[in-house]
Amino acid sequence: MACPTFFTISDSGGFVKYKNQKNENSPKKNKIRKKELTSGVGGVIIICEIDSAAARGVKSEIIAGKEKRDMKHIVEEREKNIRRLVLIVDDEPINRELLGMIVGERYDVIFAENGKQAFDLIRENQGRLSLVLLDLLMPEMNGYTLLELLRKDPVLHRIPVIVLTSEKSAEIESLRLGAVDFIPKPYDLPDVILARIARSIELAEDRIILNATETDALTGLYIREFFFIYVSRFQMFDPDRAMDAVTLDVNKLHIVNELKGREYGDAVLKKIADRMKRIAEQTDGIACRCDGGRFFLFIAHQEPDVYAKWYDEISEEANEVADGPKVTLRIGVYQNVDRGIEVEQSFDRATLACNTPHNQYGSKYALYDMQMREKEIYSEKLLGDMAAALEQKQFKVFYQPKYRITGDVPELCSAEALVRWFHPELGFVSPGAFIPLFETNGLINKLDRYVWREAAAQVRAWKEKFGVTIPVSVNVSRMDIYDPDLEGELLRIVAENGLKTNELYLEITESAYTENSEQIINTVARLRKAGFVVEMDDFGSGYSSLNMLATLPIDVLKLDMRFIRNICESEKDYRLVKLMINTASVMSIPTVAEGVETEEQFRLLKAGGCDMVQGYYFSKPLPAHDFEELIGRETKIREEQTQC
Amino acid sequence: MLTVEKLKEYGADTGEGLSRCMNNEAFYLRLVGMALADDKLEKLGEALEAGDLDRAFEAAHALKGMYGNLSLTPVYAPVYEMTELLRKRTQTDYSPLLAEAKRQMQALVSLANSD
Repeated sequence: MACPTFFTISDSGGFVKYKNQKNENSPKKNKIRKKELTSGVGGVIIICEIDSAAARGVKSEIIAGKEKRDMKHIVEEREKNIRRLVLIVDDEPINRELLGMIVGERYDVIFAENGKQAFDLIRENQGRLSLVLLDLLMPEMNGYTLLELLRKDPVLHRIPVIVLTSEKSAEIESLRLGAVDFIPKPYDLPDVILARIARSIELAEDRIILNATETDALTGLYIREFFFIYVSRFQMFDPDRAMDAVTLDVNKLHIVNELKGREYGDAVLKKIADRMKRIAEQTDGIACRCDGGRFFLFIAHQEPDVYAKWYDEISEEANEVADGPKVTLRIGVYQNVDRGIEVEQSFDRATLACNTPHNQYGSKYALYDMQMREKEIYSEKLLGDMAAALEQKQFKVFYQPKYRITGDVPELCSAEALVRWFHPELGFVSPGAFIPLFETNGLINKLDRYVWREAAAQVRAWKEKFGVTIPVSVNVSRMDIYDPDLEGELLRIVAENGLKTNELYLEITESAYTENSEQIINTVARLRKAGFVVEMDDFGSGYSSLNMLATLPIDVLKLDMRFIRNICESEKDYRLVKLMINTASVMSIPTVAEGVETEEQFRLLKAGGCDMVQGYYFSKPLPAHDFEELIGRETKIREEQTQC
Repeated sequence: MLTVEKLKEYGADTGEGLSRCMNNEAFYLRLVGMALADDKLEKLGEALEAGDLDRAFEAAHALKGMYGNLSLTPVYAPVYEMTELLRKRTQTDYSPLLAEAKRQMQALVSLANSD
């Protein structure tokens, strides 16, 4: 607690003045002292002069914190129910005392006798001062001049001022100059005055909290939640105006941040935000920083060439920040937004357009259209129906045979499990439509597990029925690799079906290897150690190098079907395939060629040393019971061969 | 010695004045004491005598606020009238109103000095 020896206390004509002489002021400490003093002198009004060095400390602290800090301060004050500070400005001592008595009931009070004194006190206490009660007619500097000074100040104008006046005519001028309310003279009843003060403080604080909350600290643009509120309001007040929803995204912001540091990335974002702010101003719109490098605009409808122009301008400004990697953008526009849908949905559409790979084709913006909409709806439906489809076994596992071609006659050796979806309403849904979708939504893990179980059960059924093992390759998506229980799950499935681990083959796509090779290497190594056969799928489709073959632990290499397609026509492709086969063979890795459709392809592959083939030339993917015919035929041939 | 009873007798709206002082009698009486010691009524007289209506308005306006807040109705009334005339800088003979204000103030001083 404060010690009275910190103060010089003198009694002059009923006033107690004190001067805080110690430079260890926090607003809180000042308050405690004053409160003590107030109670110590039995409700006598206090005029206090706050030590200016201390006040400067408070001031600089507040300026540094800006709005967010103010907000924190206010919230804290509210939570702890801390007494606010009110400045009473009146040249008349009796009025000052009277008002001080009333206001002192609930607030800490400081006084000034004229506008000039008041302005100094306001500046010194700006972080703490909650309200000013201001008389208009005063010597030295009157209330009007003070109001004007405050109004022009970017920080001080937020402190609410209630004008003390007996003149109706003064009210308009005061309002014009920014006063928030009036207290008439002679004064109202104390309760009325206190209620008016409380209300004005509350409103002003709410505004600061709102200001600090609704905008993004870095760019000053609205944050997403408030942006949506304002867009809804805009739509309500101006429902007939044609408006566009726009999403702008910085490509690979994280790489910019990584290469040049966060400050650099922030500088780029600020440049973009400034330009967007200007666009919003020019087009009667509002701008928002959604998150990371994504921005939203809600603006009066524009023709597409305007978007192209903005794309150039914003790109130019974003790249003005010196010495950085080139910053590229993409823009998606949902034009003439449908007022019947939710605001969020409008921006989902703009974002969908933004995320279409339009940059690849040199286009500066993408417009949301009906095709995107249909695709979106279709995708949504597929995603929504997936759980039921799993439950009702709408997904069917088909099996495409693989033949060993190292001997004289191609010999059925294994199969690849391929999933098909027979949707009750949509009919056959292409895997090309739902697999990429499930991959982005994390649903692929569920589907993969479903296929693993189905395939394992099938291997077991065939084993029981035919007495031979036809190992089945199942797909392990890159998302599965991140599942810490991947190995456990696979082992459980194998065990449940009484299989050995080498009776279930695992296909992992080549692109997964390049994405996160270390994790893949570790996972694959573990799976192989457990006895699973691991096949690298789609080899040659991405950025793979032959060098990968030396470092990656794999059992089988599946050549991408795009190479196989042209081996008859292109000598170069054929040579490449032969090279891959040879290289794999040097490392004792057998190869599988996928997509073999013609006899000639088969012949060339056999001549090139390929170990296994798979494709329509031999068989399309078959439902389990059709596949059984192949097994039946195969076992018969083998039996005959054995008999011979 | 000034008391609330005496002020009531004098014609002040003590109920209103006291409520404005959070019903603190001592505080109210102290403020009335300050009003008695105030020299602005003198200054108003001087300004009127000098024909300086601006200065006179300032003084009258201040007095009006002061007397009004303390609900000293008898002295408030003539001061209020003067303030409104002076606001428009009306050229008129202010002496009757000033004399009335001074008389009321004197009455108050006498009350304060009586037992």
